[in-house]
Amino acid sequence: MTDHPVVARLWAALQEVEDPEIPVSLVDMGLILSVDYLAEVKTAKLRITYTAMGCPAMEMIQDDIRQRLLREAGVEQVDITVVWDPVWTSTRLSPLARRRMAAIGLGV
Amino acid sequence: MAIAMNSEALTLQRIKSGKLVEGLEHMSPTYLEGIKRILTVSADTELISAPAYFRAAQDAPSLNAFGSAISIVQDELAHAHIAYRLLEDLGVDKDWLIYQRPAGEWKYPYAFDMPLDSWHELVVANAFYDQAGYELLSDVYHSTTFGPWKRALAKVDKEETFHLRHGQQWIRRLAPDPAERAKLQRAADWMFMLTVEWFGLPDSEKRHTEQLDYGFKGRTNDQLRQAWMAKVVPFCEEVGLRVPAHREGDTYVIDVPFPATFDASEKYWRFEEGQIGWDQVLKRWKARGPMNAEFVASLQRGWNAAT
Repeated sequence: MTDHPVVARLWAALQEVEDPEIPVSLVDMGLILSVDYLAEVKTAKLRITYTAMGCPAMEMIQDDIRQRLLREAGVEQVDITVVWDPVWTSTRLSPLARRRMAAIGLGV
Repeated sequence: MAIAMNSEALTLQRIKSGKLVEGLEHMSPTYLEGIKRILTVSADTELISAPAYFRAAQDAPSLNAFGSAISIVQDELAHAHIAYRLLEDLGVDKDWLIYQRPAGEWKYPYAFDMPLDSWHELVVANAFYDQAGYELLSDVYHSTTFGPWKRALAKVDKEETFHLRHGQQWIRRLAPDPAERAKLQRAADWMFMLTVEWFGLPDSEKRHTEQLDYGFKGRTNDQLRQAWMAKVVPFCEEVGLRVPAHREGDTYVIDVPFPATFDASEKYWRFEEGQIGWDQVLKRWKARGPMNAEFVASLQRGWNAAT
């Protein structure tokens, strides 16, 4: 359920998970498409994407998401589905992501 | 050189007042020579790691794993470009440095003269060598008085973290299997002390004091070596890899003769022969190791074909 009270907590937790190569959270990178919570099986259910199909950090990103969300009360399982539609483009970057990337010399 | 350089006194005064050195006009000739030396070591290390890692990436267990390793190679090329570009701004001939300099004159650590022959050796290199690179470059990032380098390293710092995490992630994945752990152990057996040695002469024997006097870096060789062991030794203990160092109070103590004789052809440390002098280590470094000529030739091949 996307409107379950735990969902807001999961989004806040994901704000703490940084992209492995850029000092910007996965949320601000626009990689998290949706977050649901299935209370009956204590499962966080995510749809995520990557900036490219050849993203070198796919497994690392999933590991980091699991590690962080499993620390949340009420979460015993994390199901991650990777989707390629919608295609990630730089328009998914938040204004904060753009500022941080500019600060370290990355043009977007 | 068209730009008038600074006097020794004015350069030191600028550094002591906390201002960054931004270009030739803020440098004394001694500062220039020092910053060129440390930048060349950094640039050469980043660049030579590309063919070294590429060789082992071809042993990747899957296409995704290959992609991750190639992305690391790409990062290293970009990091090298940053340092060579800064050298160019300081009046150094970049094309000569990269494409025409004889292999024996390159200034990277001896560890990269050794071939990485497998995926296991690559991921241990990511965990050991990239941790060393991270310690060295994050020290420069926090402490250097050379402004252009400091600013450029913000991006490099984060990417080096990805490389060493890549190594750690793969080691954690492989180590629970005894057969895989044995291969990782064989890699750690020769690579651990080669990385300990990477940080250079102990502080008591160091010759170039301008690295600290001028604030090119903040921590001494021995402090950096300790910082590296403080990360790597606990990690190895966690994943069940034996390494010859242990913690005593706040410091890490090396359990084998150091420095020691290294048999490059066997990837074997002759600890049984006891401790040797640093003069013998410097002799081995200066003579370069097995892959030096081949790796440099691979970087220079395109240029030589085109000119």
